[in-house]
Amino acid sequence: MNTIQHELDASGLNCPLPILRAKKTIATLSSGDVVKIIATDPGSVKDFEAFCRQTGNELISSAEADGKFEFQIRKN
Amino acid sequence: MARRMKAAERRTSIIAVAKILFADKGYHGVSVDEIARRVGVSPAVLYQHFASKEALYEGVLDSIAAPRETYVEAALNGPDDFASVLSRMTHVFIDRVEQDPDYFRMELQSALEGGTEAKRFFASRWQSIADYIEYSLRELALVQRVSVVNERTATLLYQGLIREAVYNKCILNSERYKEVTLQELVRQLLQLFFHAVDYKA
Repeated sequence: MNTIQHELDASGLNCPLPILRAKKTIATLSSGDVVKIIATDPGSVKDFEAFCRQTGNELISSAEADGKFEFQIRKN
Repeated sequence: MARRMKAAERRTSIIAVAKILFADKGYHGVSVDEIARRVGVSPAVLYQHFASKEALYEGVLDSIAAPRETYVEAALNGPDDFASVLSRMTHVFIDRVEQDPDYFRMELQSALEGGTEAKRFFASRWQSIADYIEYSLRELALVQRVSVVNERTATLLYQGLIREAVYNKCILNSERYKEVTLQELVRQLLQLFFHAVDYKA
């Protein structure tokens, strides 16, 4: 079980805002910390995969329920 | 004996032919039969690759529009301030359209035709950047880094500037702007846009 150090609600925001918010949030975390992100933009699934590929952080989980997308990302 | 085309090659050739026809005649101006005839296949073969004309149209646009990942990369790679992010994302768009202006021709055709499918596709392509501008201007106004402006109108200003630049450089090949590259023209227009909203870095 991953301990979530921070939560970011990006509901109602479209690309690039969720990833810019995530970048800013992750910059404040320590290596190994986990952030949980909530988004409503269906495109965010691909965006956060790309985000992790490009930033080198780890996408631990990506799930969808009731039109909301939840991502857990561990800072590298 | 001619070698039978592999599925991927066939799909690519269908997209290439459909792109030219859609850009020239619009979505409604071309039939699946005509595309199939030009490719040299039967409509049945075409439907094996694309379930509908709409799916083919989207396939064409996806093949020439910049992939979403490229926008993500542009948003992330560099300073996070509004002007820098907007400039990088705008350049992804114009570089791609300059590479293949058929994308923009299809957008213009769809606007004239008024068809819902194509219009929806292009509206969604503009929406991300429009939402980003609106949201950012609202936030920046709270900290006095832009003037209080109607952010929706300001977004229209941005779209008008970029569309007009692309239209003049890539479609009209306008003599008037032939000395300036599309990239430089857009850089100058973005400066005017930031000036118009009184952006403070």
